[in-house]
Amino acid sequence: MKAMILKEFRELRRDRRTMAMLIILPIVLLTIFGYAANFTVDSIPTRVIGPGAEQVAANAPDLFDIGEVDTDATTDDALTWMQDNDTEVVIDTTTQPPTAYIDGASLFTAQSASAAFGRMGDQVQVDILYNPDLDTSWVMVPALIGLILTFIGTIITSIGLVKERQTGTLEQLAVMPLKPADVIVGKIAPYFLLASFDMLVVTLLGVWIFDVPFNGNPWLFALGAGIFLFVVLGLGVLISTASQTQAQAIQLAIMMLLPQILLSGFIFPLDAMPTAIAAIGRCLPLTYFVEIAQGIFLRGAGIEALWLPYVVLTGMALFVFTAAVLRFRRDLAPSAHHRAKAKAA
Amino acid sequence: MTEPLIRATGVTRRFGDFTAVDDVSLTVGPGEIVGLLGANGAGKTTLIRMILGLLPPTEGALALFGEPPSREGRARLGYVPQGLGLWDDLTVAENLAFVDEAFRSRATAVPDALADSRDRLVGGIGLGRQRQLAFAAALGHGPELLVLDEPTSGVDPLSRARLWDTVHDSADAGVGVLVTTHYMQEAEQCDRLVLMSQGVAVAEGQLGDITGGTTALAVRTDRWQDAFAALDDAGVLVMLSGTHVRAVDADEERVRAALGGLAATLEPVTPTLEEAMVARERTAG
Repeated sequence: MKAMILKEFRELRRDRRTMAMLIILPIVLLTIFGYAANFTVDSIPTRVIGPGAEQVAANAPDLFDIGEVDTDATTDDALTWMQDNDTEVVIDTTTQPPTAYIDGASLFTAQSASAAFGRMGDQVQVDILYNPDLDTSWVMVPALIGLILTFIGTIITSIGLVKERQTGTLEQLAVMPLKPADVIVGKIAPYFLLASFDMLVVTLLGVWIFDVPFNGNPWLFALGAGIFLFVVLGLGVLISTASQTQAQAIQLAIMMLLPQILLSGFIFPLDAMPTAIAAIGRCLPLTYFVEIAQGIFLRGAGIEALWLPYVVLTGMALFVFTAAVLRFRRDLAPSAHHRAKAKAA
Repeated sequence: MTEPLIRATGVTRRFGDFTAVDDVSLTVGPGEIVGLLGANGAGKTTLIRMILGLLPPTEGALALFGEPPSREGRARLGYVPQGLGLWDDLTVAENLAFVDEAFRSRATAVPDALADSRDRLVGGIGLGRQRQLAFAAALGHGPELLVLDEPTSGVDPLSRARLWDTVHDSADAGVGVLVTTHYMQEAEQCDRLVLMSQGVAVAEGQLGDITGGTTALAVRTDRWQDAFAALDDAGVLVMLSGTHVRAVDADEERVRAALGGLAATLEPVTPTLEEAMVARERTAG
């Protein structure tokens, strides 16, 4: 038995990926997610408008981080800011008593804000926008679509591609007179279509079963999902080029999936994370998709409000997908690559 | 003279400090069957991957149909890799249809021997049948060159004979064939052989040229275990086939001396390919 245990340790020590999963991953998970796992929001971006703005701003509880005090702004301005996600809360003093508009799409922020206003009694009337009952599923379902696309894009795609490498058929494809572009597109297109189909099904189920409202433009949403799919499929291809076996691909995909689940603002609010951890979250594609999906579903936001996540996702898609195609191409047509290099030299 | 289908000149491939193929030259002409012999790890598959253009050589020049290996060149050859390169989750007919489509060739008929497996998944049919299918797929587009990496390993003798019939039919029709093997019977079927050992082409020519220079003595005795141990201890290259002991590249005097007083009759025999290969390996090493 001792020999068996020793042998197992020797093997494990040489299997760097498994070692990483066993030692580094728990430490990273604990430190990063320990900080990130925080449902309590202690600072809510807030604007105050109307004639009594100055006075309300001065007396607002510390929880509300008053960014802008505008005595001239109107209720319409307030609603536009809310839809554009410029702020989480607007206290409107043009009404009597003042009205606090809260963004119900930011679930935990909205819960904290509405509890704080509740403690103030009749001094403020509360209007929770976009998700008046603070229904968890309304916030979760749009974000879940992103998670499902990530799952299909990275895990399923990388497994499919690595299988081809593992069984030796990738080499056969390389020997056939197929253009690398044909192989890459032919290999990825089915996953793109399947993921698109899944997205449609999950969206429809979310709307029918969970009564999640779809207030925005479906085409804008489809565009965002399409761009996001390019990012995650690209990640899947990249994982496959770095893996020799399906087990390795799954390990790598899980390492990419976990931070996206926990740091994308989908479970824990980014606003409640320390700046450094939130900054990691801001580097993850799912963060931007969640912003797009919740914005379109719940707030009915348009491109003028969501251009930033679209631009960031497009940049990520171009970068990741190009890197993935180049690496995959190198596996398929090494001679062409070599000749090009020789020519350049 | 027409340009050979494959011309490798002084080809070397290194992986870091390890030299997998070292200064190997080789040609394959139309209608010619060239056998690449060598033990596992001799560099045969690496050489084939370079010829196909899947791996750039570190040094040396390679020409496939007179040009550097390219997609256009690969379209003119049929390749059966060691792993067969078939899609297990597709049926026999679907595999052939995909290959036809990729080569833009007319539909390849499912071979008669596979007719009853036509709609079965490739992963579920036997290895012999899979090899037949891999051959059919490689030949479907009428290639001018066949590259076969260990094409018959794990196949029963009858199926092997059938596969070789196919190879000869192709060669008779002018197709050049490069085949790796470590079977004697297969080496006998080649027009020319190149023996590789530790990345180097150590011998070239016909079977006689490869085995020539190697001698073998059959050592007949009832105490074959003792004979084997005694020869081995004395540093004689000794092979065992069942209970038959054979001493390779050692003269009678040396064998007698190694055997000591052990009673045995010695008889010169023709060395097998395996014996020649091991003897060459030992010399090269």
